[in-house]
Amino acid sequence: MSITYLEAIREAQYEALRHDPSVFLYGQDIATFGGAFKATKNLSKEFPNRVFDAPISEDAMVGMAIGAAVEGARPIIEMQFADFSSVGFNQIVNQAATLYWRTNVPCPITIRMPSGGTAGSGPFHSQSMEAIYSHYPGLVIVAPATVEDAYWMLLDSVKLNDPVIYCEHKFLYYHLKAEQIGDRELPIGKARIARPGRHATIVTYSAMVHEALRAAEELQLDGYQIEVVDLRSVKPMDTDTILASVARTGRLLALGEAFPWGGVTAEVIARVTSEGFHLLDAPPMRLNSKDTPIPYHPNLWKSHRPTTSTIAAALRRLLRY
Amino acid sequence: MRTIPILMPQLGESIAEATILRILVKPGQAVEAGSDLFEVETNKAAMAVTAPCAGTIGHIVATTQTSYAVGSTLAAFEVTEENAQSLGLGAEAQKPEASAAPRTGNAQVENLHFKIDDNDVISTRQPTVEPVVGGLPVPAGATGASYISPRMRARMLELGLNASDLAGVPGTGAGGRVTVEDFEAFLRALEQHRMTPASPMRIAVADSMRRSWTRPLATVGSPVMLDALLAHRKKADPKPGPALYAIRALALALAENTAFAGRLVGNRIVHPLAIDIGFAVEVDDGVMVPTLREVEKTPLVKLVPTYNKLVEQARARRLPNDVNRPGIATVTNFGTFGIVWATPIPLPEQNLVLGLGAGSKVPHWSDEVKQFIPVTEAELTLSFDHRVLDGGGAGRLLKRVAELLQKPELL
Amino acid sequence: MCLVALASPINCVETDLTADFRDQFLLCYQHMLLARVLEEKLGSLYRAGGRIVGGVYLGKGQEAFSAALGVQLRKGKDIYGPLIRDQAGRIAFGEPILDCVRTYLGAVTGPMRGRDGNIHRGRPKEGLLAMISHLGSLLSVVAGGLFARRLAGTLGDSIGATSIGDGGTSTGAFHEALNMAAVEKLPIVVSVANNQYAYSTPNTRQYACENLVDRAVGYGVSGMVVDATDLASCLKAFRAAVAQARSGGGPQMIVGTLLRLAGHGEHDDASYIPDQKRRDPSARDCLQVAEDFARDHGWMSSAELRDFNEEVRRTVDLTISKVSKEPTPDPFKEKWQALSCADLVEGQHEA
Repeated sequence: MSITYLEAIREAQYEALRHDPSVFLYGQDIATFGGAFKATKNLSKEFPNRVFDAPISEDAMVGMAIGAAVEGARPIIEMQFADFSSVGFNQIVNQAATLYWRTNVPCPITIRMPSGGTAGSGPFHSQSMEAIYSHYPGLVIVAPATVEDAYWMLLDSVKLNDPVIYCEHKFLYYHLKAEQIGDRELPIGKARIARPGRHATIVTYSAMVHEALRAAEELQLDGYQIEVVDLRSVKPMDTDTILASVARTGRLLALGEAFPWGGVTAEVIARVTSEGFHLLDAPPMRLNSKDTPIPYHPNLWKSHRPTTSTIAAALRRLLRY
Repeated sequence: MRTIPILMPQLGESIAEATILRILVKPGQAVEAGSDLFEVETNKAAMAVTAPCAGTIGHIVATTQTSYAVGSTLAAFEVTEENAQSLGLGAEAQKPEASAAPRTGNAQVENLHFKIDDNDVISTRQPTVEPVVGGLPVPAGATGASYISPRMRARMLELGLNASDLAGVPGTGAGGRVTVEDFEAFLRALEQHRMTPASPMRIAVADSMRRSWTRPLATVGSPVMLDALLAHRKKADPKPGPALYAIRALALALAENTAFAGRLVGNRIVHPLAIDIGFAVEVDDGVMVPTLREVEKTPLVKLVPTYNKLVEQARARRLPNDVNRPGIATVTNFGTFGIVWATPIPLPEQNLVLGLGAGSKVPHWSDEVKQFIPVTEAELTLSFDHRVLDGGGAGRLLKRVAELLQKPELL
Repeated sequence: MCLVALASPINCVETDLTADFRDQFLLCYQHMLLARVLEEKLGSLYRAGGRIVGGVYLGKGQEAFSAALGVQLRKGKDIYGPLIRDQAGRIAFGEPILDCVRTYLGAVTGPMRGRDGNIHRGRPKEGLLAMISHLGSLLSVVAGGLFARRLAGTLGDSIGATSIGDGGTSTGAFHEALNMAAVEKLPIVVSVANNQYAYSTPNTRQYACENLVDRAVGYGVSGMVVDATDLASCLKAFRAAVAQARSGGGPQMIVGTLLRLAGHGEHDDASYIPDQKRRDPSARDCLQVAEDFARDHGWMSSAELRDFNEEVRRTVDLTISKVSKEPTPDPFKEKWQALSCADLVEGQHEA
């Protein structure tokens, strides 16, 4: 028996629906069809009248979830692709994110965002939206990198009394497998040391955790021990764990698949330089995708985003400093 | 067979990286142990990277005219298992199947929105395009300990160390900078030595000298005949020491033009308020500098009791606290140690230090008697901040002091 | 279900004037007058400067249309998402004018506690949603509340209602939400106050259909047009629409024709509205029309009107003087926390 990242997401929704009658699912093609990626496969059969197809109206989908949350429901919204959440952007950042602060009424909604690039997906089916939502107060943004986290963090997100942007990476859907779902180890808001090391720290999240781990393997051949920090939740960001890691290594590479300008890697570096300047033995380094839309053809795509080898190259530069 | 990396070797002490000049082999080429594979150049010499054992060259990572850190992989090398083990690489470890992304292929499930092709996604090939990264410029011209990272600064602060303490640490970082790891290794090496705590006096002197040394200091010197001074001293009561003569002479010379003792702060000369002159007194494990106030106003002989009292106080380390009004120049009589010539360092808050060497009898051509006569002569030195004074100015001041010392009745 | 979009206005006739209708009419009139007096007071406070920061947005001329919907709703059971010019509707729904004044003056005692101001207020847990400035975005939220109740089996005969203007109907959010509400057949009443200007933009630059109500059929919802200056007609229309919605008729859209009798806000003199337009029947003052109607039908004497007028003014003055003494927010006591989960609030990085 083994379980993929995608199946873990389905299982988490199954559990959420089973345990809490206030949970329902709303999204495009998620009922009979089971979702574009099959993340809700069979759930509408198992939970009649709890899983609904939505019109192609991301704004209305999110607005509807907010209204339902005010009435005590805990909706899970599936964006077919994270990219399309831009159509519902206003409801997310202006309505959901401000509701508690303005009216004292919490807004427990979970928005699932199939994120990140896969070969051939092109500019509008590959985006990583975590940075843009992190910018707004009142939202929690998580980006699980493991099967366990995909499962437990989705369940935790549904239980949370605040709007959660749940960024699930499409590449990990089928490529990431675990023997079984282990115990819940860390809560939302805590980062994980995915690999201990002492020569440099990579801070990353989501699918890039795995690229970072491979790069760390490669550098081990050169005698370097690279520490990999998996943020797990982008916001809140576990600054303490990041600083503790940089304290061990003195060198930082902030790695993300998203576009380079601003964003999560910039935030990591801003925090480390302002709170941990005295820990740095080399200028902190960033590695992101290129500052262009995401290309369609694999030849271009593979050079657009960080890969194991570009990460290893960046690490070598960092270690040479 | 197994693949091992050809690494950039350690090419000498304090060499952190080397540039590939030529690649001497091709992928697929079989080579003997010790064959030259790459010609590399460090900032000290050109040399070759050689094969550690017999084997076949695999993928070559390195490119010419590129610099690689010591320990970087330059190429893959196919060797026999025996050869690998004889190199101390041990038995081949179970290749850790990256826990991430087991390459499953159940992608052809229903109606998927994208095609899964493992080979497309996980690229182990070399990057065809440089990654988008912010640059890590090596500080221009940085060598040795000149660039100190924030972490190094914090660590040194914690240990109470200064940049000058790193002078003997070989750096392996970019441009030869000292990395924290170099630094920690240096500290570990120190642990093997016998170490004793420096006295507070030693630390104070060190601090003072280090601060002073941040300026461009220069020294001029000139002999002075002391016969008149010695004769004068023989008759004097109480008897002033040679240093006190020098103090008084310097004070009178400065009274004629205080600008000599000015300090440069920013783009302005800061002139002295009063002609207070300090003098060096050797004490246990250090030097104290008591100050005589307004020396130009008091005749030499009347200065003697104050001078003697200050010497006593200095030796007992009971000097009055005069931090608010430091002297404007210092006189040091290094001649008492038998030293003829020295380049003493002025105190950090002063521009001038006047040194007096040991006197000796030397033949001196007398125009009067047309023959050599014996005279007592000593070297007089003046060290100064070259930002404030030039050799000419310093020379004129020194000449004036010498002149006054040769006419002790004026003192 | 028979879908109709009535482009010719609903008109009130003598047979509609039951005792119940009369009581609701008089109640509405009181709400309208209170709203008018309150807003005039807020306008003068704004012009005097000092107490009110930000803008003041009046519903002058729209009170009948607004109150006629609000009075149909039952606080605690129905969900109401009022918009900018719904002071009368809010009062009719049961929002105390204290909430209004406290929000305008930024008192910490108010529902928004100085965090948001003027018309951006509400008590969502009591069914009164707090609008955001993005037009059209409240409709899906009202729909979501009804959707959740239906799932939980608590919908009963409760309905949702929300307002929009001619300009707001041009937004994608409005379109998405009305379409979704229609797909879900939710009991929701959408009032469209066609006051002919979106800020300064006239209808001719806003939409190209003959009448906004023509859109209703396209969404698959029932639609009616009403002369929004006439309280009696408004009441008739909303009573019918609300009854339809409560009995499973799905979304209802009522388009009211009127003219905004104020600027977009009190900073705006509305000089872009031509004089000719101000003489149009749509420019009638609904408050005067309602007063005349009540007097003509012998429902209210001049003396009663005068007494009531005085009472309303006293109430407004008392409320404003009470709130004026209440504390405004203290930045040092403010909980600078946007998440309800305190353990997820990041360490505050003070300068």
